[in-house]
Amino acid sequence: MTTVTHDPAAPGPRLESRGIRLGDVLFRGVAVAAAAGTTALLGLIAYKVIEQAWPSIEHFGLSFVWTEAWDPVKDNYGALTFVYGTVVTSVIALLLATPISIAIALFLTEIAPRRVAAPIATMVELLAAIPSVVLGLWGILVFGPWVARHLEPWLQDVLGFIPLFDGTFYQAGMLPAALVLTIMIVPITSAICRELFARTPRDLTDGALALGSTRWESIRGVMFAYAAPGIAAAVLLGLGRAFGEAIAVAQVIGGSDNIHTSLFAPADTLGSRIASQYQGATTPLQQGSLLYLGAILMVISLTTNVAAQFVVRRFEKQRRAA
Amino acid sequence: MSEITPAGADPFDITVRSNGLGRRRRVEKSLGFLAILSAVAAVGVLALVLGTVLFKGIDSLNLNLFTEPRPLFGQEGGIADALIGSVLIVGMSMAFAIPVAVLVAIYMSEYASVRVATFLRLVLDVLNGVPAIVVGIFVFGLLVVGHGQSAVYGAFALSILMLPMVARATQEVLDIVPRSQREGSLALGVTKWRTTWNIILPSAIGGILTGVVIAVARVAGETAPLLFTSAIAANAISLDVSHALPTLPVAIFVFSESPDPGEQAMGWAAALVLIAFVLVMNVLAKIFAGRKRRQLEGS
Amino acid sequence: MKKLLAAVIAIAALVSASVVSTGAVAAPARSQGTLVGAGATFPFPLISKWIPEVGKAYDVNITYSPVGSGAGIAAITARTVDFGASDAPLSASQLDACKGCVVIPWALSATSIPYNLPGVDFRVKLDGPTIAAIYLGEITNWSDAKLKALNKGKNLPDMKITPVFRSDGSGTTYNFTEYLSSVSPTWKDKVGFNTSVSFPTGVGARGSSGVAGVVKNTPGALTYVDVAYSITNKFQFAVVKNRAGKFATPGLRGIQAAVSKVPDKVTQLSQLKIVDPPKSAGNLAYPIVTFTYVIVPTNSAKAADLRKFIYWAVTQGQKFGPPLLFQPLPKPVQAFAYREIKKIQGGNS
Repeated sequence: MTTVTHDPAAPGPRLESRGIRLGDVLFRGVAVAAAAGTTALLGLIAYKVIEQAWPSIEHFGLSFVWTEAWDPVKDNYGALTFVYGTVVTSVIALLLATPISIAIALFLTEIAPRRVAAPIATMVELLAAIPSVVLGLWGILVFGPWVARHLEPWLQDVLGFIPLFDGTFYQAGMLPAALVLTIMIVPITSAICRELFARTPRDLTDGALALGSTRWESIRGVMFAYAAPGIAAAVLLGLGRAFGEAIAVAQVIGGSDNIHTSLFAPADTLGSRIASQYQGATTPLQQGSLLYLGAILMVISLTTNVAAQFVVRRFEKQRRAA
Repeated sequence: MSEITPAGADPFDITVRSNGLGRRRRVEKSLGFLAILSAVAAVGVLALVLGTVLFKGIDSLNLNLFTEPRPLFGQEGGIADALIGSVLIVGMSMAFAIPVAVLVAIYMSEYASVRVATFLRLVLDVLNGVPAIVVGIFVFGLLVVGHGQSAVYGAFALSILMLPMVARATQEVLDIVPRSQREGSLALGVTKWRTTWNIILPSAIGGILTGVVIAVARVAGETAPLLFTSAIAANAISLDVSHALPTLPVAIFVFSESPDPGEQAMGWAAALVLIAFVLVMNVLAKIFAGRKRRQLEGS
Repeated sequence: MKKLLAAVIAIAALVSASVVSTGAVAAPARSQGTLVGAGATFPFPLISKWIPEVGKAYDVNITYSPVGSGAGIAAITARTVDFGASDAPLSASQLDACKGCVVIPWALSATSIPYNLPGVDFRVKLDGPTIAAIYLGEITNWSDAKLKALNKGKNLPDMKITPVFRSDGSGTTYNFTEYLSSVSPTWKDKVGFNTSVSFPTGVGARGSSGVAGVVKNTPGALTYVDVAYSITNKFQFAVVKNRAGKFATPGLRGIQAAVSKVPDKVTQLSQLKIVDPPKSAGNLAYPIVTFTYVIVPTNSAKAADLRKFIYWAVTQGQKFGPPLLFQPLPKPVQAFAYREIKKIQGGNS
């Protein structure tokens, strides 16, 4: 006796006409095209950005990256001021945002009762939803002046012996920009940490508690150790976000061409320099150099982002294997 | 050496007799306090920003704001031109992004092998992390150079930002749809594409809409790509998308740098309108997410 | 629910399609009697007065975006607008890139030096070398000896000076730095002049609005901005020493004196350099004065409307200038403008 196995995909005898198979082929074709197009898009973005920067890349070479200059009169440009600004603002933002995010995540998963945690979690998410231009508006008109009038003098009183906190108070500078970035990345990092902590297997922490550790010690010893790669990924993602933020930073950072020691002094980042100057670039070399800054930004943020993705995937694999 | 047990404490209480417990408890308490403080600070900053926007913006909320375009020097005006421009550009970007995103997600979920799907997930996640200003530079070089700015190019730039969010949200929800639905349909002789279109997608609608709404909320406030594609626009109400149109985020950006109290007030009002829109979108997203959950639980 | 998604996409697509087709249909209608311009923030107050008047006189609808001289030059070069406006004349390479553009002076005003000094009720006196020194970072406090010497008998506070500059491409920067290059060899050597320069010190901000905003909020700050913006925002601005040794105000008489040395027959733009006028210009001459220009392609579809608009602007439009501190163009400059306007051809002439 022959067993008839029904293969749903195979054309039945005289039951399916050509037309329906064509539909399948077309649909699949369109879907493939969409997927291929999206992949190509990523490559095309990289290509186009570098292509537009090429006149400057060709002219200045790689030393552009560590040259401190930006002179449209002498047509001499260098990225160092902006790389410095990008790195310093983002690192400060990260140093402030990471402990705060972890604290918020702990609060939401460990301390707050369910009924309180849900609305507070929503509110922290809403912080991420504020458009950066609105945060920048608030930064220029409210936050910046407050920083210059109250925060910076206080910091100088307390930490003035460090050159970082010495100098005139400006309402637009490295410090307000770093603080605005902190506000932007806290919701992202804390959301990831919150999910990580919520998913930590209970038996691990329960075991530690049974052995006599306090709640905090079980968190520190077990949860953090377990979630460490996830936290690393959260940090990297937050860093990537901070690198890429151009608008809010442009509004509060002051637009300086040179590097200053003090955190109170004006500065500039890769993104914000492009946003401020590209519209009015006077020479082709200036325009090319602005786009060279864009290429550097793209490389930095892509590297950070891809690193974050790999850490996440390694973590997922580890977790599933465990 | 163990601590002296406090009078009245239970000598069999193992925690009291362990080493340095008082200090450890104090550490725990103070860290708990810091955690609460951080959460309060975060909520506080949110309240501060939203509150400022609300109080400063509400004074300028009048009918003129929504009917007049950007004023000439020394006159009164509104943000009608920017509002209309934003609606058109975001609408077009949705039309560009949603079909492509859904198709990519369908491919990843229904057709691709595991390796290809993993690769595509990586591509989408990386695309999601490309800074908005780099996307602006890309579209500038690809389309604006030689042709000039236009609202359509702006919409294209925004659609690139929307694509990964909608695609990932769709893909995740498609993956959750049980295999049984697909197999049952195919077993009945329904073609693969009809199965996907008529049976799988509808169950995924909640998730897709959540993704769309979140993406729209994010993209409505993006300034950087528009600076490159639709920034030098006539300050007049216009529907002509073949030219640059004024938009809400760019208008806020320009107003934020003005010392003129009138323009600053319009900046706050525009920010209020934008934030109200974003908040409404976020609430909608939560509603759709709830719907999605109930749908999946039901099936 | 699937219907909802389909409906959303359909509506978005329908909106796009209808709007694009409306645009295509509306486009030819738009080119009749509409002029779109972009450029310097400097002439924006005056252009704002011109727009309703030209609308009444010729039924031409003009819109203008004050995005900065640099952006204006870029926009007209790319032909995304019908006219551009800049306070800085085009450089040789920019003229090349613009491919057949004329640069026509259509307004004349001064760059003021406003400052924020709470409690100071007298008008601060400055001179070219001191301003250069401030922007070079050599003078950092208002109580500096050099400033005391200029302001004999007056009390300047012990306050840090924050020089503020335009971080975007700006014709006002061009005017200001051209002046500084003329009075300070160190400045000319170290920094030079252009719409965008590498300022050695200070805080940058975007647009006239931006710098005015920073000054408003920062005690001790000082910047350079068109005098119209200074007046509107009720800033205190400085009086500047001219070559005749007197301290001049950026008012109408100061501007008039500054351009009194323009030759009777003007054939080229380079003859219109009016910063740092010589001693013979008189006691009232204010040293930081600038023309502002409209940039128009010689071959434009809207040539007729452009000619009407610009001709009106350099003749009848000038009478709207004085209340905004724009001095009417001197006759030789008007004559030059007429000759340049004739070069605008093309389209429905």
